[in-house]
Amino acid sequence: MTRPDIVSRFRFPSTVIVLLLVIMVWEVIVYMLNIPPYILPSPSRIIITMSKYSQYLLMNLVSTLTSALAGLAIAALFSLLLAMLLSYSDSLRNAIYPLITGFNAVPRAALVPLLALWFGLGIMPKILTALLIAFFPILVPTLTAMVTIERELYELLLSLGATKRQILIKVALPRAMPYFLSSLHMGLTGAFVGTVIAEMIASSNGLGYVILSSTSRLDTPLAFSCLFLLALTTIAISKALSIIERRVAGWAYRVSV
Amino acid sequence: MNMRPLVSLRNVTVVYKVKNSELTALSNVSLDIMHGEVVGIVGRSGCGKTTLLKVMAGLIRPVRGEVIFYGKTKKIGMLFQNPLLLPWRTVLSNILLPIEILGEDIEVYKNRALKLLEMVGLKGFENSYPWELSGGMQQRVALCRALIHKPSLLLLDEPFSALDALTREELWTLVQDIIMHEKCTTVLVTHDIREAVILCDRVVVMNGRPGRIRAEFKIPFRRPRSLELQYAEEFNEYVAKVRDALND
Repeated sequence: MTRPDIVSRFRFPSTVIVLLLVIMVWEVIVYMLNIPPYILPSPSRIIITMSKYSQYLLMNLVSTLTSALAGLAIAALFSLLLAMLLSYSDSLRNAIYPLITGFNAVPRAALVPLLALWFGLGIMPKILTALLIAFFPILVPTLTAMVTIERELYELLLSLGATKRQILIKVALPRAMPYFLSSLHMGLTGAFVGTVIAEMIASSNGLGYVILSSTSRLDTPLAFSCLFLLALTTIAISKALSIIERRVAGWAYRVSV
Repeated sequence: MNMRPLVSLRNVTVVYKVKNSELTALSNVSLDIMHGEVVGIVGRSGCGKTTLLKVMAGLIRPVRGEVIFYGKTKKIGMLFQNPLLLPWRTVLSNILLPIEILGEDIEVYKNRALKLLEMVGLKGFENSYPWELSGGMQQRVALCRALIHKPSLLLLDEPFSALDALTREELWTLVQDIIMHEKCTTVLVTHDIREAVILCDRVVVMNGRPGRIRAEFKIPFRRPRSLELQYAEEFNEYVAKVRDALND
């Protein structure tokens, strides 16, 4: 079956052409206007910086990546279990869901100093901040998919004597899978934002820390190197998630297996 | 068909609570469905015919009156306007869903599922996904799912109204054949009078607000009935009678 490809929008040639064009314009502007590197480094300078500090950057990237992925994994598991629990009982959902929404309105960056106070300056505040930002965008679509089973399908199952647990496992959970998996993309960016914020506020490693310390030294090319690395990493992971999505919930995209 | 009832509704009244007011969906309805009988329930939209079906399925409890089910086990098969197949399951796996719910051995019913598929003309489609099939084919799969667990009562809620005219007539014949083969007691809710007359042994006419039974007609044509029966004068007399009762 041929269908418009909505999972991976990565069109190799056109994307690369546009990207190269942007980089070229950037390079030219920096050169023509003679912008000093501590204001806006040229792409070539960023690439040179990246190779010069490759060891250092890689070490810090691994640190950021570990926290972000750990935060995302815990958020995914937690959201899935919470969605199952809340879909199971209407009264529980009515009681707890508004509290979760309310908590989501609290700026998570403001919690980082508290997390550092409780858990120290190690990896814990980073993972927790990633988790706290990532879980909500995963929970909402997953729960919605679980509680919006067609009424008549629900009645059909009830007429067969299905228990709530059977409906959850046989219908609600598989039905929610594509929504859960696609929400991981949003959770992913949230997890990276959380980790980087925590690194800026309460850490002495990771790309967030490197961005903060390098800009304070006016080493802007190094800060830009970090931004590039973050973007590239997120794109790569997002791509990997799309592949998993296709494998696990290909039916949602009407892809014949 | 024999004259022992399978389901008896006695003075059934159903009231829905809509915010602060109450809506009487069924008022004092009494109806016997006999073993092996095919009963059609016709009425305008909102006359309570679907509510009546849900009462029989045990999905709604009447506020007054009782629903008596004679027979050892109450197994119900349901078919709606929408096929409601699960898109992540293959055709075969969709058909076997009731068996999983009932906790019976899937292997035992696999052959029956394949046989049913063959009966509805979908042999070889067992490993397809529902979204690879047309609407009419999906509805045939849904019919197999409704029958897989050998239900004692088959409840059809406007199962043909989303189909085009040709497919609909095809499915009338198919459903008649299957009901005869399975000897399944069937209740068909519809607003298509011709459909009710061609498929049913008895047509019950309801009118609404509150839902009541207005008239009943026995339809004596012998089975199997062919689609050509629609052109018979007698057939059209029954259609006219039912229509008159509806318009009263």
